[in-house]
Amino acid sequence: MSPSAADSTTPAIQTAGLGKRFGRQWALAHCDLQVRTGEVVLLAGANGSGKTTLLRLIAGLDKPTLGSMTIYGMDPAQEKLACRRTLTLVGHDNYLYSQLTALEMIQVWTRLRGAELAETEAIELLREVDLDERRDTPVGGFSAGMRKRLTLLRTRLEEPKLVLLDEPFSALDASGQRLIEEWIEGYRSAGKTVVLASHNLPRSSRLCDRAILLHQGQILWQGSGKDLLDRVGTTV
Amino acid sequence: MNLIRQALTVVRKDLLLEWRGKGRLISVLLFGVVTLLLFSFAVGPDSTLLRAAAGGFLVLALLLSSTLGLSESFRVEQEQRAIEGLLLLPVDPIALYYGKTLSNTLFLMLLAPILTPVALILYSVELDLEGLAVLFGLWTLAAAGLSAPGTLYAAMTSRLQSQDVLLPLLLFPLVIPVLMGAVKSITLILTGDPMSQVGSWAMLLASFAIIYWSLCGLLFPHAIEEGI
Repeated sequence: MSPSAADSTTPAIQTAGLGKRFGRQWALAHCDLQVRTGEVVLLAGANGSGKTTLLRLIAGLDKPTLGSMTIYGMDPAQEKLACRRTLTLVGHDNYLYSQLTALEMIQVWTRLRGAELAETEAIELLREVDLDERRDTPVGGFSAGMRKRLTLLRTRLEEPKLVLLDEPFSALDASGQRLIEEWIEGYRSAGKTVVLASHNLPRSSRLCDRAILLHQGQILWQGSGKDLLDRVGTTV
Repeated sequence: MNLIRQALTVVRKDLLLEWRGKGRLISVLLFGVVTLLLFSFAVGPDSTLLRAAAGGFLVLALLLSSTLGLSESFRVEQEQRAIEGLLLLPVDPIALYYGKTLSNTLFLMLLAPILTPVALILYSVELDLEGLAVLFGLWTLAAAGLSAPGTLYAAMTSRLQSQDVLLPLLLFPLVIPVLMGAVKSITLILTGDPMSQVGSWAMLLASFAIIYWSLCGLLFPHAIEEGI
C-alpha cells in the first residue's frame, strides 16, 4: 500500500509480537503496539529498556528477530524505500560529516532525497535553529548542541508523516528544547505522527497524547503523560 | 535518472571530504611511494631486473595502497554513523554503492600521476607520452576493477575492529585476475610489446571491471543493510 493510499484510520505503526535479540539478550520482546495517525507517543523507560531498539526497528535500521510490523499499512521489509519516504529518525548519532559545512550537509541530504533546495531556502532553515551565521563552518567545529540542532533539522527538511525522535532534548539548551517542543506541537497540528523516546519526562509528558513505559524490553504500562508522571515521578 | 543523480551526489560529497581532509590522500600516496622504494631496495641495483619487474611493483603498490584508501572511505561513514543518516533517506543503496565505487576509483586514479613517475625514476624505465597515456588507461581499468569489490568489502567490514586485517584478506584473492591483467599489460607497456598483446590484457581488465561492477552492485544493498 502506498503512503497516499493509507487513510487516516490506518495506524501509523502497528507491531505484532515484535522482538529483537542481540546475542542471547532480548532487547525487545513481544511488543504489540499500535500508534494512530496524528498521535504523539512518548516511550519512557530506564536505560536498556528497549526504547532505542524499538525506534530503530520502526525506522528499518535493524531487522526484527521475531514478529511483524507495518508503517502506514506498508511492510518495511517489502517496501523499504516507500517506508523511508514516510518517516525520519533522529537518533543518538548525528549522521554528520565533520568536514562538511552545515549548508553542505543540508544540500547533501536534500539532493539524496531527489529534491533541490535553493541556498536562500537552506539558510532560512538554518536560521530556524540559529545556525545561519555558522553555515560555512565545518560541523566538526560545532558543539554537541549545535550538531543536535542541525541533525534535528532533518525532520523539517524531509517533510515526513512519521517523526521518530530518540532523546530529542539531550544536549540542547533551554531555547533549543523549547524549539523542539514547538516543532512537535507543529507536527501534531499538521496531523503528523510523532514517537519520541526521552528521559526528560516533565517536558515530554506534557507533549504526548499517550505514554508507554518500557521495562527490560517489554511494554509494562500505557497511559497519559500525566499518569506516567504520577506513576514514576520526573525521572525513569 | 534519480539513481544517477543520487550516485553523483555521493561522489561529490566524497570528493569534497577528500579535498577538505587531504590526510587520506597524502598518507596513501606516501605509502605507495615507500612501497615502490622498498621494492627497489629489495631487488638491488640490477637495473635490468628492476625494469623487468617495474610493472609488477607498480601494480602491487596500487593494490597495497588501495586497501588503505578503501577502508578509510568507510571509516568516515561510520563517524557519527553518517551511513545510517544516508540509509534513513529514501536513497537506493545501489546509488550509494555506485557513488562510493566511483569516488574510490577516482581516488585510486589520483595515485597514478605520482606513483608512475616515481617508479620510472627508481626502476630506470623510459616511457614516451603515448606509453604514458596507455599506462594511465590501464591504471584506470585496474582501479575500477579493484574499487568494485573493494567498496563492497570495505562496507561489509567497516564496523569491525579487525577491518584493516580482514579487508585485504577478503579482497586480495578476489582481485587476482585484475592483478594479473594489470601486471602483464603494464609490464608490456614498460618493456615493449612486439606481439601487440596489451589490447587483450586490457580487454581482460575491462571485462573484470564490468563483471565486478555489476555483481557487487547487486550484492551491496544486502551487505549494507546487514552491515550497518
